[in-house]
Amino acid sequence: MKYMLMVFENEQNFADRNDMAAMDGLMQRHIAFQKEIKPVHVGGAGLKGVATATTIRTNGGKQVVHDGPFAETKEQLGGFYLVDVPDLDAAIEIARKVPLMKDGAIEIRPVMTVDAKPIA
Amino acid sequence: MPSQSLDRTVREASGRIIAALAARFRNLDLAEDALAEASLRAAETWPRDGLPRDPAAWLYRVSERCLLDTLRRRRRETGFDLDPPADAPNAEDLLLDDNRLIPDERLRLIFVCCHPAVATEARAALTLKLVCGLTTSEIARAFLLSETALAQRLVRAKRKIAEAGVPFEIPRPEYWPERLDAVLSTIEIAYSKAHEDAAGAGPHAGFAAEMLDLTRLLADLLPREPDVLALAALIRFAEARRPARIGADGAMVPLSEQDPALWSWPLIIEGRRYLGGAAGGVAASPRVIQALIHGAWCGRKSLAEPAPWPRVLVFYDALLTWRDDAVVRLNRAVAVAEVNGPQAALDDIACLDTATLAQFPPYHALRADLLRRLARTVEARAAYDAALALAPPSAEALWLKRRRDAL
Repeated sequence: MKYMLMVFENEQNFADRNDMAAMDGLMQRHIAFQKEIKPVHVGGAGLKGVATATTIRTNGGKQVVHDGPFAETKEQLGGFYLVDVPDLDAAIEIARKVPLMKDGAIEIRPVMTVDAKPIA
Repeated sequence: MPSQSLDRTVREASGRIIAALAARFRNLDLAEDALAEASLRAAETWPRDGLPRDPAAWLYRVSERCLLDTLRRRRRETGFDLDPPADAPNAEDLLLDDNRLIPDERLRLIFVCCHPAVATEARAALTLKLVCGLTTSEIARAFLLSETALAQRLVRAKRKIAEAGVPFEIPRPEYWPERLDAVLSTIEIAYSKAHEDAAGAGPHAGFAAEMLDLTRLLADLLPREPDVLALAALIRFAEARRPARIGADGAMVPLSEQDPALWSWPLIIEGRRYLGGAAGGVAASPRVIQALIHGAWCGRKSLAEPAPWPRVLVFYDALLTWRDDAVVRLNRAVAVAEVNGPQAALDDIACLDTATLAQFPPYHALRADLLRRLARTVEARAAYDAALALAPPSAEALWLKRRRDAL
């Protein structure tokens, strides 16, 4: 089963982008993490900050393009991993190890499949 | 054959059958539907042909066939493959039937029902339904929910399990403590529903028995886990005292005034055996300590014997080092009052956060009792009124009113 691991962190934790040691440290941890999950790692990416986000909202058929993320929350989607593992417990185990700058949350969502496989 | 004995057979066997089928086919709905169909067939054939040699084994075999039939039908519909239809059970099958051949996968089923990915409020209901075989309407009554609301909660939980890919596995050792804790908390929630009903005649009474069965099952499956044994002990001690919890007049009887002659001694002896395995005298976790407290009470042979307050206080002190919260502090204060006097207890609870406790009837009830003993009658009356204003269960309300009116 494929799962998307969405990494939510408070951008404030990255406010000091001049703290190269911290940024490097996090980067190194992501590289090590990717090496560790290589056999099940399907994809993923880090995202630029919410200041770069643009949202298109459709409401009653009308579309409005506006600046910023779709929802202003303390923690924002900062990146994601796509993994292919047997079940939720395996996904949880990997999600626990996703590196974070400080505090944050990883949301695990199963990826929809299009093939209508019979049960069992 | 009376339908009641069919119902009982189904209930007793359903946890094992659903667990075994779900473990094999990885699908809770298919397992449940198959058992439901097998039960219908039993209702048709058992009265006509007589009770099978081993009714549970019969149900398992027929459920398994129903499930395989469903799978074949679905495969045909989706054009996948065409297996021959299932054989009807022959004489040899029936001779071989023995429910010991049903693989016992209930522990895995319990871990699925209590998976942290399942909504907390659905875990207890799902466990009662799938592991204990209670009907949706029984569970709905116990949880004070409409049957529709409870059914929806169960459907959502099962859908989550299926779609999020919750595995039908025992958790890995490193996550064992966390996951086992989720299972035990679920049982505690379910049991507290049963225990609230002090008289034991209300809708929860029936499943107190299920909680005894479920904790016995867990203790059999995990005989080395102190917390599992402690919970099995605690539930037995609490159930043992049920007959003494309400007086002839319908008012609550406090633990220290309960007549041990009314307690169920077979349950207490069973509880002690579990507690011995859990603790060996060592207070190793909050659950073990709580079981030790209940065990201390259940050691009292008659009202003539002094109540075990000093020991209870020692255990509460130990519990406090694990869990320092308002509920533990309140319970400890009851023991403090007996050992060091009501003023000491009142001083102890004075430093608690009254804002959060204001909605908690036992807080006002304890204050009222302490103030009464200190002859601060006006304040005591106000505290009794505050407790009663929160609409506690009727047996408790009656007891509080009586105390207030005796001021």
